[in-house]
Amino acid sequence: MAHRLYGRKKNVKKGFQFTLMVVGASGTGRTTFVNTLCDSNVLAKKACHNPEEAHNEEGITIKPISVELDEDGVRISLTIVDTPGFGDNIDNERCFDAIVAYLEQQYDDILAEESRIKRNPRFYDNRVHALLYFISPTGHALREIDIELMRRLSPRVNVIPVIGRADSFTPQELHDFKRRIMEDIEHYNIPIYNFPYDVEEDDEDTIEENSELRALLPFAIIGSDEEIVVNQRTVRGRQYPWGAVEVDNPQHSDFARLRSALLSSHLQDLKEITHDFLYENYRTEKLSRTVHGGDADNAALNAEDMASQSVRLKEEQLRKEEEKLREIELKVQREIQQKRAELLSKEEALRNLEARLAQAQLSDA
Amino acid sequence: MAPVTVSAAGIGVAHLPNQRHKIVTKRGANFTIMVCGESGVGKTTFINTLFTTSIKDYKDPAKRHEKQLDRTVEIEITKAELEEKMFKVKLSVIDTPGFGDYVNNYDSWMPVVEFLDDQHENYMRQEQQPVRQGVADMRVHACLYFIRPTGHSLKPLDIEVMKRLGSRVNLIPVIAKADTLTPKDLAEFKRRILEVIEAQNIRVYSCPIESDDEGMTERNRSIMAAMPFSVIGSTQTVRTPDGREVKGRQYSWGVAEVENEDHCDFKKLRNLLIRTHMLDLISTTEEQHYENYRQQQMATRKFGEPKVKKYENPKHREKEDALRKVFTEQVRQEENRFRQWEQQLISERDRLNKDLETQHAQIKALEADLEHMYHQHGRGTMRK
Repeated sequence: MAHRLYGRKKNVKKGFQFTLMVVGASGTGRTTFVNTLCDSNVLAKKACHNPEEAHNEEGITIKPISVELDEDGVRISLTIVDTPGFGDNIDNERCFDAIVAYLEQQYDDILAEESRIKRNPRFYDNRVHALLYFISPTGHALREIDIELMRRLSPRVNVIPVIGRADSFTPQELHDFKRRIMEDIEHYNIPIYNFPYDVEEDDEDTIEENSELRALLPFAIIGSDEEIVVNQRTVRGRQYPWGAVEVDNPQHSDFARLRSALLSSHLQDLKEITHDFLYENYRTEKLSRTVHGGDADNAALNAEDMASQSVRLKEEQLRKEEEKLREIELKVQREIQQKRAELLSKEEALRNLEARLAQAQLSDA
Repeated sequence: MAPVTVSAAGIGVAHLPNQRHKIVTKRGANFTIMVCGESGVGKTTFINTLFTTSIKDYKDPAKRHEKQLDRTVEIEITKAELEEKMFKVKLSVIDTPGFGDYVNNYDSWMPVVEFLDDQHENYMRQEQQPVRQGVADMRVHACLYFIRPTGHSLKPLDIEVMKRLGSRVNLIPVIAKADTLTPKDLAEFKRRILEVIEAQNIRVYSCPIESDDEGMTERNRSIMAAMPFSVIGSTQTVRTPDGREVKGRQYSWGVAEVENEDHCDFKKLRNLLIRTHMLDLISTTEEQHYENYRQQQMATRKFGEPKVKKYENPKHREKEDALRKVFTEQVRQEENRFRQWEQQLISERDRLNKDLETQHAQIKALEADLEHMYHQHGRGTMRK
């Protein structure tokens, strides 16, 4: 599908920039996938450290790495953002926030840059164009953590669900698993990137290609950074006692289709959606938030602060405030009394004056 | 007194084991096994493969949307009766659906641990009753903990649970879905798991290796060396490329066989659980784990006192959260009320101040007038 990319000769020479984030619990095949994609050991396998510290829960870390790829003669400057530690803790609530914060940070940077008076023409766009979410190969359906993650991240990035370690499944099991996942995605209304096409506008080829890719969702991935010999050929794959799985064989895994979709045919589409749709949404949300919601946010924050304080402290505060208000009330009332007294005395004086005036006038007359 | 050998013809004391055998055969056996692990890891399939019949039903996937995500770990008991060569076994399988499936799995091991302790507790209670016939014994004889085949190492959740299980029941770690790991990966994985088990002081089941029979000793040794056991589960019969009909899983690239020792340790585990060490599992549960529990409880509790329940239901926690929210709401409303009251007072004060000022102004005007009139009058009188 190289014709898509050859829009302008300048682009081809300059190459393309693409940022891909990979998220998934450890052991779902993330690292191996990235290494298979880039055809080199870009990411190091998880270093299994000290067994005595194995019970420690690490949080999630976000690591961007840059790689140069050559796809069909086109240079692609690929940035891979790895997220080791996701889903590995006993309590994983914090993991989502870290990822969302990273995505929004990139958007914030672009927003700030756009708003500058003098903009930097060499500004490096770090926005994430696609996120591959590795679903654990349970064989049942989506788990709570899968649903939560995809739901929270879809508004900020193109989410493409992927089944890692797909060599756990027989063909029938894989088919059922994929079907159930897509049912779940529809049931929970999770907006993923599903290779959108317009039946009326796009040409037949595009429609066919996109609906094929859509039918393959979620992609079943088998990755390997080792080479084995199968039928006198040397291929990338995994060797089992009962057979050999080939990574690039479309009957064994959807890896080849995914790679071409990400790096060739749909690279531009993903970037466009990120810029025209996701970034614009974020921008609108953020700017309207700073205009209107200042007070609402503060009130909400206060409520949350209060919720975390203890009951007694709150009661104390309330009592103090009550006292203060009562004092103010008393003071005001006293002032009022004072002024009234003054008024009365002045009125008296006035009346006296008037009386004297009247007398004076009388005597005058 | 040294044992006295009876005459070679014998009086029949040697028949005692036979009598025992007859009684035991008639009574049958009672075996309770627990499977613990995340969902989708192969527990149900394993049980069905182990007993070669459909003991457990698979969860109906069509119903999964009906269930509310209420974040509880349940305990599911399936009972079955097996019969082989006139010997009956009452089998109970305990499953723990929901374990490890949620975003926050903290304390998700509590229902499991509670269940194990409860069975010991029940048995203890029944023993202390005046009438002890018909004791219902659901003490768990073996707990299989299914480890997800990530290829890396044990997760913090695994370690936490295994620690707690190991001290209460015969814990046997199992690597599920072993057909996703190449032999090299599998060996590495096993080695790392054993390292962690050692370093974290997790107690796993170890059977007696030494026995009178040489062959037995060898077999026992090889069984224990294979721990944690890698298993492939399948109830379907498939045909291998070389024409055999076996139980296995058919992939596009080959057939993984369940009973092939090169492919997985299923046979060894089955021997351990059923063929050779079932009795040992039952007796260690009764002798070691139950006695441990009994000792602990007796040391702190009086005879006949009920047990103190420590674990709080997550439902209670939710209620607590709801109440806290209500409280926060009320506090916020009170604060608003105070603020409004303050506003009112301030506006009152301002209004009154303004009134005062207008009155002041009026007074000043009147005074000025007076002055003026005095002045005039003064001049007037002077003129007079």
